[in-house]
Amino acid sequence: MFESLSDPVDVLSACVEGRLEPLRFRWRGRVIRVRKVTGRWHRREGQSQLQYFSIEDASGGSYELCHDPRGPKWILSRVWVERTG
Amino acid sequence: MSAKDSTRMILLIDMDAFFASVEQAHHPHLRGVPVMVCGDPSRRGVVTAASYEARPFGVRAGMPLGEARRLCPQAHYVEGNPDKYVALSVKLLDLYLSISPDVEPFSVDEAFLQLARHGSLAEAREIARGLQAEIDRRFSLGASVGVGPSKLVAKMASGVQKPRGLTAMDVPAFQRHFWPLDVQELWGVGPKLAARMRSLGITTVGELAHAPTALLKGNFGIIGPQLKEAAAGHDETPIVPCHRGVEPKSMGHEVTLPEDSSSIPFLEGTLLRLSDQVARRLRSDRMAGRVVCVKLRNHRFETMLRQRVLSEHTRESRRVFEVARTLWRENWDGGPLRLIGVTVSDLEPTEGGGQTELFASDLRSQTLTAALDRVRDRLGEASIVPAGALTHRGHASHVPFGTVPLASSPEDRPEKRRVTSPAKGR
Repeated sequence: MFESLSDPVDVLSACVEGRLEPLRFRWRGRVIRVRKVTGRWHRREGQSQLQYFSIEDASGGSYELCHDPRGPKWILSRVWVERTG
Repeated sequence: MSAKDSTRMILLIDMDAFFASVEQAHHPHLRGVPVMVCGDPSRRGVVTAASYEARPFGVRAGMPLGEARRLCPQAHYVEGNPDKYVALSVKLLDLYLSISPDVEPFSVDEAFLQLARHGSLAEAREIARGLQAEIDRRFSLGASVGVGPSKLVAKMASGVQKPRGLTAMDVPAFQRHFWPLDVQELWGVGPKLAARMRSLGITTVGELAHAPTALLKGNFGIIGPQLKEAAAGHDETPIVPCHRGVEPKSMGHEVTLPEDSSSIPFLEGTLLRLSDQVARRLRSDRMAGRVVCVKLRNHRFETMLRQRVLSEHTRESRRVFEVARTLWRENWDGGPLRLIGVTVSDLEPTEGGGQTELFASDLRSQTLTAALDRVRDRLGEASIVPAGALTHRGHASHVPFGTVPLASSPEDRPEKRRVTSPAKGR
């Protein structure tokens, strides 16, 4: 199931043909490499446009990152965790 | 049907299990397995969308989560994200608009597209096939498409094959396919209307197409002959392109509570939050409404709708809340509620920030409302919320698919209070 988070994370990103592309990020001491951006969308919050990215890492892990231009800052908003029990 | 319409070609593009498919597209490990999109999965609520893998288990949209879990315990439950679905829906509309300027959004996951050049059914079918491939390539999503000479035929054809179906029909093909089917299969005929038709001996779409016009008019009024035309596959309803815009008929919000509640502060806070959201939308869209409706659903799933017509149009949070609260107090029997909703209808456009009510609001209140709206425009909806809605502390922003946390402290749950009249639920 997805766990909702609001964890600030450091993200290494690139701007490719005018599009923001997250490449890797550090979360809880681990560096997670982005294998593929599987989805992207945006949400307006007041005058700011937040960009969201669905991300798959090399081991099949699933995450959602949010780029908030105010700051600017990156937030890890969701992570898939396997159900236990 | 006019000669002009006989050559127009319309597509109805229906995204397959849209919300669930978006989650599967964005999260590859969810592909090929049952997925339910819902509100917060840790709370109770209903299934908003079920993937095609979940449907053989009997799970359907609208089903309570508890029942869905019993039917399909192995499914993955994903909290829905309306912002994501709306953003994708807009991207899909952009794709449709690259084919034709005549695109009419029908819902977040359906749209009509009228081809710019009138051609044959076979040509339209090929365009539809190409569009399906492009949707798959760009978004990894499936769509079922109906093709026909009218919105009616396209809409009904889109449901013939799912998922990723493509069905093209002219009027004779429509009649061959739908005439033997139950009359309720006709677009626009619901269970109650179908039951009345059956009582007149009209059981199939074909029988409706051949029923005497006078009989239909006598029993169903003006809609009777219209349904007869529809049953024959005839429809001249024009496409209303999205660039032309359609004014909404009503605006509303409703929430399924995380657990049945009879807590007065909690229910009142919920009503306040809903009223504030509705009024805020009215102001954002420069609309005002004259009818306030409250929807109450109890723990037995009995739903009650009560409305009041105001003496003048309003878009003020306080006014909407006052009326909604009065309706709630007059009609609630004090028993546990499962769902609450507030809707404002009979809308009309308002100019700028002008006053819509003659005496209802003083200048100071309006100035304050305008200032608060400016803060929300700048910082977002969650930046300011009514103090009375803080029974939802920490979850004050819009919550996807209508779940709000229940106030937890004991003092938030006072003794049940008597209300002015018993429920008049159906």
